[in-house]
Amino acid sequence: MIAALMVLLPLAVAVALALAPKPAVHRPLAMFGVVATLVLGLLAVDGGGRLEVPWIASLGTWIALDATGAGGVLARVAAAVLLPTVLWAGARVESRPHLFLAWLLATLAGLSGIFLARDLVLFYVFWELTLLPGLALLAGWGLTHRRAAMVKYLLYAVAGSFAMLIAVLAVGPLSGAAGYRFDQLLAAAPLLDPLTQTWIFAGFAFAFAVKLPIFPLHAWLVDVHEQNHASGAADVAGTLYKVGGFGLFAWAIPLLPAGATALAPLGLALGAFTAVYGALIATRHAHLKRILAYASLSHMGVVAVGLFSLHLAGKTGSMALLAAQMVTTGGLFLVSGMLHDRRGSFELDAFGGLARSAPALAAATLVVLFASIGVPGLANFPGEFLALLGAYQAAPAAAVLALLAVVAAGALGVNLYQRLFQGEGRERVRDVTPLEVAVFAPILALTLWLGVAPAANLTTFEREAAAAQTVTAEAAPVVAEIAAAVGVLAAGGVR
Amino acid sequence: MTVPTEAYVALSAALFAIGAMGVLIRRSAILVFLSVELMLNAGNLALVAYARHWAGFDALAGLSGQTVVFIVLAVAAAEVAVGLGILVAIFRDRSSTDVDALSGVRL
Amino acid sequence: MTGAWSDPVAWAALAPLFALAGALLVGLFGRRWPEPLPGVVASLAIAAAFVVAAVASVGLLGRDAGVALTLWPFLPVAGLDVSVGVVVDPLAATFLLIITGVGLLIHVYSIDYMRDDDGNARYFALLNLFVASMLVLVLADSLVLLFVGWEGVGVCSYLLIGFWYRQRANADAGRKAFIVNRIGDAGFLLASFLVAATFGTLTIADANAQAGSFAFGAGVLTAIGLLFLLAAAGKSAQLPLHVWLPDAMAGPTPVSALIHAATMVTAGVYLVARLSPLYAQAPAASAAVAWVGALTALIAAVAALAQTDIKRILAYSTVSQLGFMFAAVGAGAYAAAVFHVFTHAFFKGLLFLAAGSVIHALHGEQDVRRMGGLGRRMRLTGSSALVGTLAIAGVPLLSGFFSKEAILGGVWNSTLVEDYGSRLLFALLLVTAGLTAFYMFRWYHRVFCGESRLARDVAAKVHESPGTMTAPLVVLAALAAVAGYLGLPAFAFPNWIKSWLAPSLASVGALHPPLWVEWLLVAASVVAAAAGLAAGWWIYERGRGALAERVGGGVMGRFARDGLGFDAAYRAGAVSTAEGLAAGLAVADRDLLDRGIAAGVTTASWLGRAVAAWQSGFVRLYALATLIGLTALAVVVAALGGRA
Repeated sequence: MIAALMVLLPLAVAVALALAPKPAVHRPLAMFGVVATLVLGLLAVDGGGRLEVPWIASLGTWIALDATGAGGVLARVAAAVLLPTVLWAGARVESRPHLFLAWLLATLAGLSGIFLARDLVLFYVFWELTLLPGLALLAGWGLTHRRAAMVKYLLYAVAGSFAMLIAVLAVGPLSGAAGYRFDQLLAAAPLLDPLTQTWIFAGFAFAFAVKLPIFPLHAWLVDVHEQNHASGAADVAGTLYKVGGFGLFAWAIPLLPAGATALAPLGLALGAFTAVYGALIATRHAHLKRILAYASLSHMGVVAVGLFSLHLAGKTGSMALLAAQMVTTGGLFLVSGMLHDRRGSFELDAFGGLARSAPALAAATLVVLFASIGVPGLANFPGEFLALLGAYQAAPAAAVLALLAVVAAGALGVNLYQRLFQGEGRERVRDVTPLEVAVFAPILALTLWLGVAPAANLTTFEREAAAAQTVTAEAAPVVAEIAAAVGVLAAGGVR
Repeated sequence: MTVPTEAYVALSAALFAIGAMGVLIRRSAILVFLSVELMLNAGNLALVAYARHWAGFDALAGLSGQTVVFIVLAVAAAEVAVGLGILVAIFRDRSSTDVDALSGVRL
Repeated sequence: MTGAWSDPVAWAALAPLFALAGALLVGLFGRRWPEPLPGVVASLAIAAAFVVAAVASVGLLGRDAGVALTLWPFLPVAGLDVSVGVVVDPLAATFLLIITGVGLLIHVYSIDYMRDDDGNARYFALLNLFVASMLVLVLADSLVLLFVGWEGVGVCSYLLIGFWYRQRANADAGRKAFIVNRIGDAGFLLASFLVAATFGTLTIADANAQAGSFAFGAGVLTAIGLLFLLAAAGKSAQLPLHVWLPDAMAGPTPVSALIHAATMVTAGVYLVARLSPLYAQAPAASAAVAWVGALTALIAAVAALAQTDIKRILAYSTVSQLGFMFAAVGAGAYAAAVFHVFTHAFFKGLLFLAAGSVIHALHGEQDVRRMGGLGRRMRLTGSSALVGTLAIAGVPLLSGFFSKEAILGGVWNSTLVEDYGSRLLFALLLVTAGLTAFYMFRWYHRVFCGESRLARDVAAKVHESPGTMTAPLVVLAALAAVAGYLGLPAFAFPNWIKSWLAPSLASVGALHPPLWVEWLLVAASVVAAAAGLAAGWWIYERGRGALAERVGGGVMGRFARDGLGFDAAYRAGAVSTAEGLAAGLAVADRDLLDRGIAAGVTTASWLGRAVAAWQSGFVRLYALATLIGLTALAVVVAALGGRA
C-alpha cells in the first residue's frame, strides 16, 4: 500500500498543482508532495512497502511494487534530491511555475514507478511514461534550440524503448514464465538457452545503454542539458531519470545471466571508454552545463563498468554510485543555476574570482564538486571504489582504463573550480541567500551521509545483487563461445 | 450471322481505354465524369457480351451477367449524382472546374 | 567497545575528532571572530590532540601490542567487511606525536604570520582539517580508511597551496599538486584492488599477516609493492612525480613547513613502513623503492644547488631528504627511515619557519640574492636556522647526524637489497649527503651571513619576528639538537627508537660487519658533511660566491634551476598528449558521432519527404497511379495463369 502511495501521491499532487488556481499554494503543495513521498519511502523500509495485485490476467502482468529493495533506496534518494530542486524551481521559474512543479512531481511519480516496479511490463510502462515530463520540461521552459534537443532525445529514447519492447514481449512467452512478475521471470528466464538470452539481453542493453548513457548513444544528453531551463531544476530531473544502470541491475542482469556474461566484455569496454571519453571531452568545453553533462557521462561509464563486471562488489558499487551521483550531479546542476543567476551566462569566461565575494558559495560548491570526482569521505567514493574493485576482478584492463578517468576527472574538477572561483574576480557577486542555504543543506547532508555511512544502503544493494549471481552450469561452454565472439566484435568495433 | 464475343470485348476494351485516357488527360471535371461514364459503360458492354457468351452453357451465368449490369448502371447514376453535386459546390466557390486546381488535400 | 575506551591508548582515536571539531568551528564561525581567536581555537584543538597522542604514547611504553578499535561499518560488501577502525601502535603513535607536536608549534607560529590576512579563519580551518586527515591516515586500520586520509590531505594541500588564489600562479600550483597526486592515487586504488583480489581483505594487519605465507619474491607481492610505490612517490614527491613540490612553495610558509616538510610528504614513507611485512617479502619492489629514493635524493640535491628562492632551496632539499627515507625503507631499515622522518620534521620544519620569519621581516622578499647579513639583525631566527642547517648537514651529535647515519648504515648493511646494488645506493646517498651540506651552507650563508644585499628601503625596516613566531623556532631548534639521542647507532649503543618501533615494523635481517667497518661508515658520513661545509665555506665565505655565480649562470646551472627538465618533459609529453587526445575526441564527438547520427535522421526525413511527394493532392496523378496499379495487377494475374 505504501509503495503504491509513493507512486500515486506525487502524481495526485502534480495534477492538483496543474489545476491549482492560487500562486501562494504552489510551493507548499509541491514541497508537501515531495516530503510526503520521502516519508512514505522511509516508512516503507520495514516491510510495509510491498504490493502484489493482478493487472492483466491474460498477459500475466501484475501491479507489483516493492520499496524494500535497491529500488526503494534509489526512490528515497530521488525524492530527497527533488526536495531542494522543488524549492529552487518554485523560486526561480518565472513563467507558469505551477506547471513546472507539476511536471517535476510527475517525474517523481514516474521514477518511483520505475524503481519500485517488480513487474516487467509495469516497469516498461513507467519507463516510457517518465519520458513525458522530461520532454515537457524541455518543451515548455527550454532555451532557443530546444526543438532540436527534444527531437534528438525523443529519437534516441524511442529507438531504445523499441528494442526493449521487443525484448519484453519476447522474454515472457519464450521463457514460459507464469507471468511478468520478477520472481516468476526469475524462475524461468535464466534457464533459456544462451543464444536466446543474448539476443533478449541485447535488446534490453540497447535501451539501457541509451538511458545510462554510454558511448556511442550519449549524444542526446549534452544537448538536452544545454537547452534545459537556466535554473538547473529540469537538469536535476534529467539526471534522476538516468536509470539505465538500474534497469541493468534489477532486470536485465538477474534475469538473463548467460546473455549478460556474453555481452559483458563489450559492456566493460564501452563503459571504460565512456568514463575516459566523458572526462577528457569535458575539459574541452567552456559551457558549464555541457561540462557537467560530459562529467556525468564519465560517471555513468564507471557505473557501466561496475555492472558489467558481474561481480558482487561491482554491481553493488555501481548502484551506490548511481545513488551518489544523483545527489552530486544534481547538486552541481543546481549550483549552475545559482551561478547563472549571478552572471546571466553559463560560459566559463563569465566567471572567475567568485570566491572572494562569495566564500560560502565557493565552499559549498567545492564540497559537492569534490564529492563528484570521488574524494573519499564524500558521496561518490564508496560506489566508485567498489565498482572499480569489481571491474578489476573481471577485467583488470578495463579497471585501469577507468582509473585513468579518475585522474582525468580530478583534473577536470580542480580546473573547473579554478575557472569559476579562483583568480582575480571582476564585479562582486552576492554570497549565498537563505534560499540557497536551504537548497544546499539537503544536498550537503546527503553527500556526507552517503560518504561516511554508506553501509546500510550497500547491504541492501548487495542483498539484491546476490539474489541472482551465477550462470547455470550447462550453459557455460556455449556462453564462453559467445563471449569470445562478442569480444572479437567489440575489439574490432570499438577501434 | 452472330457477331463474335471477341468483337464486343475488343470494343469494350477500346471504349475503356478511351475513357481512361479521358480521365487522365482532360482537365475539365465534367469531361472527367464523362470519361468515367464511358469506362463504366465499357465494362457494362463486356459484361453483357460475356453474359450472352456463357448463356449457352449455363442459364444462370447469363442472367447474373445482365443483373450485374443493372447494378453497375445504378451505381454509375448514383455516383454521377453525388459527383455533380460536389462539383456544383466547388464551382460555386471557385468558378472553375479545373481538376488541377483541386489539390487541397495533400501533405 | 566500552571496555576498549577505558584504555588510555585508545584515546588517541579522539585526536582526529578534536582537529575536525576545530576545523568545523573555525570554518563555520571563524569569519566573524576577531583575530587572533581563530588561530587560538585551532591551536587549542591541536593541543588537545597532542595531549591524547602523548597519553597514548606513554600508555604504549612497555606494551607489546597496540590497540585496535572498530568504530562503524563502512563497506560491508563481498566478504571484504571494511569498517572504520583505528590501530594505535608505536608506529602510529610516533607519527601522531610528530603531526600534533610540530603541528601545534606551526599553528602558534601562524597566529602572527597570518595576522591581518583576509582569509585568516579559512587558513586555520584548513590547517585543522589537514591535521585531522593526516591523523586519520596514520591511525587507519584498513587501506580504504587510509585512502580517506590520503586523499584528504591531498585536498587540504590543494586548498592551502592555492590559499592566495587571487594570483593565478598560486592556484595553478595547487592544481598541479592535486593532479600529480591523483596519478599516485590511481596507483593506490589499483594496488588496493590487487590486495583485495590476492588476500581477500583490505585490512592492513590481515594483509600483512598473509603476506608472510607467500613465496619470497612472489610476483603478485612485487606488483602490489610497485603500485604502492607509485602512490607513495606521488604523495612524497619522489621521481618522477616530484614536480609539484617546488611549485607548492606558492602557499604560505607555515603550510610549507607543516605539509611539505613534516607531515603530508612523509605519508609515502609511512605507507611503506606500515606495509613493511609485505615489502620485506618482495625484494624487487623494495629495491625499486630504494633506487627511486636514492636517485631522487641525488637529483633533487643537484637542483637545490641552483635555486635562488629561499623556499625552493628548502623544497628541493625536502625532496632529497625524502629520497633518503625512501632509500631506507627500500633497504629494509624501516626504523631508521621513521627516525629520519622524526628528526627531519624538526630541522626542516625549523628551517621553513626560519625562512618564513625572514620573508615576514623582509615584507615578502624571497630571493636569496637580495638577502645577506640578516644573522646580525635577527639573532634568534639566525641562530635557530644555524642549528637547523648543521642538523640537516649531518654535523655530529645533532639529530640529523644520527638519523642520516642510521640510514647510511642500514643501506650498507641491507640484506633485502643486497643483490640490487646496496653498495652503489650507499655511494649515491653519501655523495648526496655531501651535496646537502654544501647547498645548506650556501642557503644559510646567502641569507644570514656576509654583507647585506638588501634593498635600501627593506633594510631599514628589518627586525626580529614577534615572540609567537620565534618561540616555536627555539623549541624546534632544541629538538633538532637533542632528538638524535633517541636513536644512537645501534651497533655500539642502545638504540631506543628501534626497540620502540619494533612491534610495528617487519624485522629484516641485516649484515653485521666488524665494528671498525661500522665506525668507518660513521666516519664517511662525517667526512662527507665536513667536505660539503668546507666547500661551501671556501666558495661563499672566502670566494664571495664568484665561482658559484659563474657556474650557476651557465647552461648546467639553468638546467638545474629548472628542475633538470622534468617540468618541460611533462609539459611536452603528458600534458600535450592529454590535451591532444581530448581535442581529438571532442572533435570526433561533435562531427562524427553527433553529425553522423543527425545525418541518419536527415536521411530518414528526406526519405519521408520523397514518399510524401506522392500525396500531392493532384487528382490526375492519383488516377494515373490507380491505373498503373490496376494494369500491373492484371498483368500479374494473367502471368499466373488467370489464378488470383
